[in-house]
Amino acid sequence: MNTDQLTLTFAALADPTRRAILAELRHNGEATVNELAAPFTITVQAVSKHLKVLERAGLIVRGRSAQLRPSRLQGEALKDAADWLADYRGFWEESFDRLGEQLA
Amino acid sequence: MSGTAELRDIIITRTYDAPRAEVWKAWTEPARIAAWWGKRGWRTPVESVTLDVRPGGVFRLNSIADADGSEMPVDTIYHEVVPPERLSFGGQPGGRRATVTFRDLGGGRTEMTFTSSIHADAELHARALGGLTSAFDRLAEQLPRPRPEGTFR
Repeated sequence: MNTDQLTLTFAALADPTRRAILAELRHNGEATVNELAAPFTITVQAVSKHLKVLERAGLIVRGRSAQLRPSRLQGEALKDAADWLADYRGFWEESFDRLGEQLA
Repeated sequence: MSGTAELRDIIITRTYDAPRAEVWKAWTEPARIAAWWGKRGWRTPVESVTLDVRPGGVFRLNSIADADGSEMPVDTIYHEVVPPERLSFGGQPGGRRATVTFRDLGGGRTEMTFTSSIHADAELHARALGGLTSAFDRLAEQLPRPRPEGTFR
């Protein structure tokens, strides 16, 4: 796995506004910058910056049409991040098992 | 978890000292909405406003920050238009929607309820609530003043 890509992915995920944008895209499937700049929360300029970070991290793809360029989620980078976390699944499951034994 | 981006409700209720028709106009006439839309410190040029007030019609405007010129647009279509009771608007079908209802309280007073939801963490959610509250304060300021009782027209 490309470590640099993983660094970009986790860095992109380390921001609550960007996670909110991803949640919105998961919900809507596709959205333009204007649609993501929710009234009274995020400016167009802020959304554009966040989308650049997400795009560079491979978490989203953007359409080609010059004006609207709708964004949508791209699965691969998320899968790589999830795979990385899954390597530790054994550890947390074991911890919970031990916790369970202590509480039993 | 407060730091998690999740779908959070936004519900704001305000009572205005103005007849329902006036509050409806404040939402549906370009010059009127331009006068209040956006939080304090932002302005909405009337040229940026398109209000095609019917189901499927465009509801679009652009607010600009006095401080740095950054922009916060609304780019939606109307889903429901029931004058002078109810408006709903949003992005793509199935996407986020906002609904605003107007209830005639009698005596020239109107209760407005704004309902929406956003994918946001606690901080973004609070920012949205603050921005809307500020805008709804401005709406109150630009409604026609009620005539004191007993005065002549």
